Amino acid sequence: MTRLPRYGGVFHVLLAIPLVCYVLLVAGLVAGMFAAIPREGWHMAWSNPDLASAVRLSLVTTTISTILAMAIAIPSGYMLSRYRFPGQVIVDTVLDMPIILPPLVMGLALLLFFSTPIGKWLDRGIVPGGLFVYQPLGIVLAQVVVGCAYAVRVMKTGFDNSDRRYEEVAMTLGANSVRTFMKVALPATWHSLVASTVISWAQIIGLFGPVIVLCGTMRGRTEIMPTTIFLETSVGRIDTALVIACLMVVMSMTMLVVFKRVGGGRLEL
Amino acid sequence: MSANVIAVDDVWFRIGSFEMSGVSLNVFEGEYFCLTGSNGAGKSVLLKLITGIYVPDRGSVRIRGKDVTGAAPWTRNIGYMPQDGLLFPWLTTAQNIRFGLEMRDERGDVIDAAVNKIATRLGIRHLLPRKPSGLSGGERQKVSLARALVLNPPILLLDEPVSAIDEGTRDELCRDMRSLQREFQISVIHVAHHSREIDLIADRIGRLEGGKWLGTMPAKPSDPNEVGVSTTGCSGTAVGSV
Repeated sequence: MTRLPRYGGVFHVLLAIPLVCYVLLVAGLVAGMFAAIPREGWHMAWSNPDLASAVRLSLVTTTISTILAMAIAIPSGYMLSRYRFPGQVIVDTVLDMPIILPPLVMGLALLLFFSTPIGKWLDRGIVPGGLFVYQPLGIVLAQVVVGCAYAVRVMKTGFDNSDRRYEEVAMTLGANSVRTFMKVALPATWHSLVASTVISWAQIIGLFGPVIVLCGTMRGRTEIMPTTIFLETSVGRIDTALVIACLMVVMSMTMLVVFKRVGGGRLEL
Repeated sequence: MSANVIAVDDVWFRIGSFEMSGVSLNVFEGEYFCLTGSNGAGKSVLLKLITGIYVPDRGSVRIRGKDVTGAAPWTRNIGYMPQDGLLFPWLTTAQNIRFGLEMRDERGDVIDAAVNKIATRLGIRHLLPRKPSGLSGGERQKVSLARALVLNPPILLLDEPVSAIDEGTRDELCRDMRSLQREFQISVIHVAHHSREIDLIADRIGRLEGGKWLGTMPAKPSDPNEVGVSTTGCSGTAVGSV
C-alpha cells in the first residue's frame, strides 16, 4: 500500500468522490437507525421475552450453521482447487446456484423437497412432529444451504491463491495427504479460512427468505432476528424492529472486528 | 562410482502444453550430477517426476533398483530442495527443519538433537528462532538444505538452489553443498544455470531441452569449447552443448 502522491490532485479528487459518497450513505443510514430509536424503545425491546428468544435462536442457529458450512466448505474448496475430475464444471455451477438464485427460491425449493416422498420421510419419518418444516432445525438447514455456497467460493479462492508447492515440499518431507492438508494447506490459507467464516456468518445471520418460507416465523419457536424485523415492521412496531436491526449491526461489526484481529489484521473480505 | 541410485527409463509426461518425451537418466552412488538446460526445458518437471510429485504417463523411475514409478512422495525418502527454498512462512526456522522429523513421528529429544546437529553443521544455529521472512536469500537456502538433509536422505534433488543469490554467497553455498554431499555420502542432482556453479560441484553434467534428453558429459572438460557429449553411464544418446 502506498500513500497518495502529491501529483494528480484532480484525479484523486475524482476517485474519492464516489468513495466518500458511498461511505457517507452507508454510515448515515446506519447512524440514522440508531438515532431513530426512542429511549424507551431499548427498554421495551429488552423486556420482551419473545425478542430475547429470537436473538438467542438467531445466535445459536447462526453459530451451528457457520460451523457446518465451514465443515463442508474447507474440504470442498480444497478438492475443487487441487484436483480435476469428471463433471467438475457441473459441480462448480451447482455450487454457485445458491449465490445467484434469489434466497426465496432456495426456500421454495427446500419446501418443495420436503413435500416429496423422500423429503416427507426425512422430515416426519424419524420425528412425527417434523424435523425441518416449521422447526428450528429447518432454520439451520436453510442457513447452511445458502451460507455454504459463499464459504466454498472463498475457500476455493484461498486454496487457488496459496502456493501448492508448499504441499509438494511437505510430501517430499514425509507428510502424507492428510498431514499435508492439516499441517500445510490449512495454515497456508489461514486468512481465507477466517474470511470465509466471517462471510458465511454474515450471510447466515441476515438470511430471511428461505427461513420464512421453510420455517415460517412462530414466536418463541422459529422466530429469528431478520423475521422479527419483518414481523414488527408489518404490524407497525417500527421502534422494536429498529432495536433488532441495530443489534444485528452491532453483532456483525463485533464479529468483523474480532475476526480481523484473529486474522492478524490482514483479513480482506 | 558404482551402483545405480536413480534410474529414469524412457519417461514420457505431459503437463499443460509441456511434453517430456522418452527421457532416460542414470545417477550413480555418491555422484554429484548437474542438470542443465534452458528455461522451460523440463528440469524441474524431471525432479518432480523423481520425487513422485508427478507420475509419468509412460516409463519408469527406479530408486536403488526398486520401481517407485507410482509410489507416493512421502514413501521415497528423497531430499528435495525446490526453487526459492520454499520455507513454510508460518513456521520458524527451527520448526521448518523439524517438520520432516515430526512427520516421521520421531521423539522430541531425537528431533532436537538432529536439528541442532544439522544447524550447527550449516552454521545456522543463530537463525533457528527466526521466521523465514527475516532471512536473506542465502540463509533461506541453507535452512531449506538443512530441512532436507536432517532426514538423512540417500538422494538429494536441488532445483536451482543458488540461482537467486549473489555471486559470493553462491560460491560459498556451492562449496558447502559439495562438501556436505561427500560428508553425507549422498547422490545429488543439482539443477544449475551458471557454468561457474557447475565447475565448482559437478561430477557429471546432463542436458535437457524442450522435454528431450540430450545426453551427459563429464564435468570440467579439458577443452572448454567441447560440444560433443559422452553418454558415459547414461542411456541418453543425443548430442548437445553444455
